[in-house]
Amino acid sequence: MWLPFIGLIIGIILGLLTEIRIPEEYSNYLSIAVLAAFDTLFGGIRAYLQNIYDEKVFVSGFFFNIILAASLAFLGVHLGVDLYLAAVFAFGVRLFQNIAVIRRILLTKWSTNKEKLEKR
Amino acid sequence: MRVKGNHVILSLVSLVLGFIIAFSYHLTQIENEKPKMTDVQYKQTLALRNQLIDQEERNRKLQSELKEKQEKVQKNEKELAKEAQIFSNFAEDTEKYRLFMGKVKVKGKGVKVTLSDGAYNPREDNVNNYLVHEHHVFKVINELYISGAAAVAINGARLTSHSYIVCNGPVITVDGVPYPAPFIITAIGDPDVLSSSLNLTGGVKDQLVNDNIIFKLEKADNIILDPILGG
Repeated sequence: MWLPFIGLIIGIILGLLTEIRIPEEYSNYLSIAVLAAFDTLFGGIRAYLQNIYDEKVFVSGFFFNIILAASLAFLGVHLGVDLYLAAVFAFGVRLFQNIAVIRRILLTKWSTNKEKLEKR
Repeated sequence: MRVKGNHVILSLVSLVLGFIIAFSYHLTQIENEKPKMTDVQYKQTLALRNQLIDQEERNRKLQSELKEKQEKVQKNEKELAKEAQIFSNFAEDTEKYRLFMGKVKVKGKGVKVTLSDGAYNPREDNVNNYLVHEHHVFKVINELYISGAAAVAINGARLTSHSYIVCNGPVITVDGVPYPAPFIITAIGDPDVLSSSLNLTGGVKDQLVNDNIIFKLEKADNIILDPILGG
């Protein structure tokens, strides 16, 4: 059960210790990758709370979204169109939606729990 | 607790997630370390940069000016060097002229001619026949000058271009100063040339000897002629 958290901590440590400097023009890719990762993460949490969580969908979506976002940004840079804005927009909107859904689910759960507690 | 397969995959996902987030955070931190500029600062920077550019332009202009000036200075220096050369030539000339004018002390190789009156000859009625006369002195002096003597003196008195020699009884007056016999004529020049010219057959020496004058010629390595005082 603790294995994912250990992985997370190791990942954070690795990321902080890495001294690789990526050029300025590639920092867009990184930000989009972060956004995609967040989006997938919250999507997974939402799916879990809605009881429709599928691990394959989650894992494949996680990596695929990251790669897709990065390649979209790459394409945009080479076409001269700021395509990464589209990715940012899409991921941002979905991120908010996911968080909103999670919030509602948690709220309903909390209120039902409260009701249950009061009934007792 | 047994390790499930999905846990491994999940940990992989979280590892990647953590890595990406931490890396991004780290990168942003590094970028934030660079001084961020506000609007005012930006304006200041721009103004300073413009000032710098102005200064550089001015520098370039001044440098080209400096180059021009340096070229001018070089030209002037060359002219000065030329002038200095001319002056040194003048100085040399002056030295030479002074030498000829008898204004300076002269030292050098030369010859020394001694003209003495002949021994008393009772058979000669006229004493003039064995005395040294001015024309004898003239002959010697002229010969010496012709042979290239730089300076000539009689009994230590330097001759100049306006010297005069007068026969005055038993003495010869050079520039108003009487000198008795014997007359020592010193001349500075090439000793060989001077002596050989005096020694020409039928030349000055022979003529003077014919006039019963005792003629003595010696070469000298170091003759010093004093300048004319008050000349």
